[in-house]
Amino acid sequence: MSEGAMAVVKPEMKSYIWLQTADGSIQQVEEEVAMFCPMICREILQTGMGTSKNYAISLPQRVNPAILGLILDYCRFHQVPGRSNKERKSYDERFIRMDTKRLCELTSAADSLQLKPLVDLTSRALARIIEGKTPEEIRETFHLPDDLTEEEKLEPLRNITDDPRIRLLNRLYARKRKELKEREKLKNVEVEEERVDERSVDDLLSFINGGDGDPKGVKASKNKKKNRRRKDQQKDSSSNNVNGNHEKELDGIRSGCHNGAVDDNSVPSPSKSSKLQDSAAVSFSPKLEFDDGDIDDDLDPAMKEELDREVEDFARRLNSVWPERMQELLSLGQERRLAPISMNGNGSTHRYASLDRR
Amino acid sequence: MGDVSAPDFLSDLPQSIIESILTRLPIRDAVRTSILSTRWRYKWATLTQLVFDEKCVNLSNDKTLVERNIVKFITRVLLLHKGPIHKFHLSTSYLESCPDIDQWILFLSRNDIKELILELGEGEWFRVPSCLFSCRKLTRLELFRCELDPPPSFKGFLCLKSLNLHQVLVAPDAIGSLISSCPLLESLALSYFDSLVLNIHAPNLKYLCLEGEFKDICLENTPLLVAMSVAMYMTDDIAEHFEQSSSCNFIKFLGNVPHLERLIGHIYFTKFLSIGNDLGSPPITYSHLKIIELYQVSFEDMKEILAVLRLITNSPNLQELIISGSSNTLAAIEASDLDFWEKECPLGCTFKHLQIVKMTDMSGVPHEMKFIKFLLGNSPVLQTMTITPCVYVMDGKLNMLVELVRFQRASAQAEIIFIQD
Repeated sequence: MSEGAMAVVKPEMKSYIWLQTADGSIQQVEEEVAMFCPMICREILQTGMGTSKNYAISLPQRVNPAILGLILDYCRFHQVPGRSNKERKSYDERFIRMDTKRLCELTSAADSLQLKPLVDLTSRALARIIEGKTPEEIRETFHLPDDLTEEEKLEPLRNITDDPRIRLLNRLYARKRKELKEREKLKNVEVEEERVDERSVDDLLSFINGGDGDPKGVKASKNKKKNRRRKDQQKDSSSNNVNGNHEKELDGIRSGCHNGAVDDNSVPSPSKSSKLQDSAAVSFSPKLEFDDGDIDDDLDPAMKEELDREVEDFARRLNSVWPERMQELLSLGQERRLAPISMNGNGSTHRYASLDRR
Repeated sequence: MGDVSAPDFLSDLPQSIIESILTRLPIRDAVRTSILSTRWRYKWATLTQLVFDEKCVNLSNDKTLVERNIVKFITRVLLLHKGPIHKFHLSTSYLESCPDIDQWILFLSRNDIKELILELGEGEWFRVPSCLFSCRKLTRLELFRCELDPPPSFKGFLCLKSLNLHQVLVAPDAIGSLISSCPLLESLALSYFDSLVLNIHAPNLKYLCLEGEFKDICLENTPLLVAMSVAMYMTDDIAEHFEQSSSCNFIKFLGNVPHLERLIGHIYFTKFLSIGNDLGSPPITYSHLKIIELYQVSFEDMKEILAVLRLITNSPNLQELIISGSSNTLAAIEASDLDFWEKECPLGCTFKHLQIVKMTDMSGVPHEMKFIKFLLGNSPVLQTMTITPCVYVMDGKLNMLVELVRFQRASAQAEIIFIQD
């Protein structure tokens, strides 16, 4: 369809604009349709491109030929001035009926062409798709990777409704961690002691250069000190490895936690807590009075998995009663639970009364 | 588990579009997206528009529990949020005066808030903290059931374009100075005020909506006004106050609104306009006025009729006229001054653009019928005249119809539609 031939056939000269998509293919479009897109319009006016095949306007990368076709259909309909609002609305409703992948591509392409009405239309459509769905449904619809760990999803949360069942889960989780940590510590301590013993002997020999009042006694006390120090160091160093601002974080959390001890509504600052979640390795000072505050993550992965599995199991058992509500509550907030827990007189928590140490 | 093989198109969209999508979701769903995947963890946290209501939390019969939950939810959202917040809209009857709201407003005042809408419950009205007055960038403020007390050092909201105060307790002189200290104000709505004396000085004002007991209103400086809607609840002592005043309300109210396009007057508005003596001031032409709606016009009061006539005869481009009557059927069967219509009514006055007329609550009293006759005879392009009789008129309908049929019509296309329900 050359312009010359068109001129012969039609009384008015219809002018066409040439557009080139990122894959190299070129197509021509009626001028008034193309001008409906602000980005194309500006290109034409500012650079004079688009009037012939050799000087086609290059469209942004996000616009592929199929999507371009859709966009041009949209423009072709809406650039006609005489249409009523009702007509336009019903066209829009029919227009956005497409699968979500295409809808996303369309949104992206419309945004790169700065076609705001279409961006609004597609955004609204996407919002309608997302609204009311559970996280799994959303992930499935949009092919989102489910790459948050179960731990991150089920973390001790800001319990929005003080639900005892979530608190139970948190407590159990924390308790499990503690137990596992104890076990690990014991293992480590045994290992350490051997090492420490040897080293201290060498130290003594090199430093003291001779006899001591009570070598064994000194050795023993030094061992103890070194044990403690080493344990502390290990704790700190493992956390430090993860995040350089650890000390500051601890302080921040501590002050946040102190507030938490007083007021149920406190939350640690968002940026710190995001670092927390990413590093997942912070130990709280035992001075803070929380039952499930001791969320220490220097467990080896196998332990962690086992723990996760157990917690997941327990969660699933709880979930079987009220799955959706659980998801809702868990997805809100995403923060570690720091405030002390007060049990209300809920009958179902009776079995777990032992968890309440206060 | 998500399908890893299919590409994820949604998360690759630019942040501005994702925010636009999340803004269209209820806040609860938007926050829930943080559980979708690592990339979605904090996509919601930079939303600049936050809209809260009781749908954010699980409802239950325990009102205090719901209140606490709403407070917790909002506090946490605000603390997890990062970046500026341009719009904060809170509308729930579960919250009343509550210290947390003070803290939220303080937080917002530090985060470039531009639009603040607070609609709270019926009980104790919330006293707005002084930090509200330090929100420099505020462009829109809407308060429902609050107490407002601007500090003496307050110089005004220099960016405020829209102000809506509904059931707000504020010192009478403070309102006037608040309005005049917002130079960019374009839209003003005041409702449920008691005995307010108001001088509106707003050079950029375009839209005005007043509802309440106003002792006195004067549109002192509103040259750009385009549309106004006024509902005046008049008690007896206010009416008395008006009778005794010598100023002309018509001039005070409609004296300086040359660009007016739409006028809506609810109950007592025409009565308000009719009060006062106009001592021969030159007529003002409302050349842009296209739509006039006047409700509860009493066709027994000659002064009100004169006010209406004055208004419509000075609006050469009037297209649509809606009038509802409020005559007392018993008193109005005999009317005086009926010869006014033949003698004094301006002849040669044509409504060259009047196309639609709706007369509702018509009781068929003589002046009403004369008015309809006047309109029919002087509207050459009239398309429809819809007449709805008042519900109390039983037998009078036939008489009305008999009279109507006789009236001469200036417009050949005019349809008279008599509504019978």
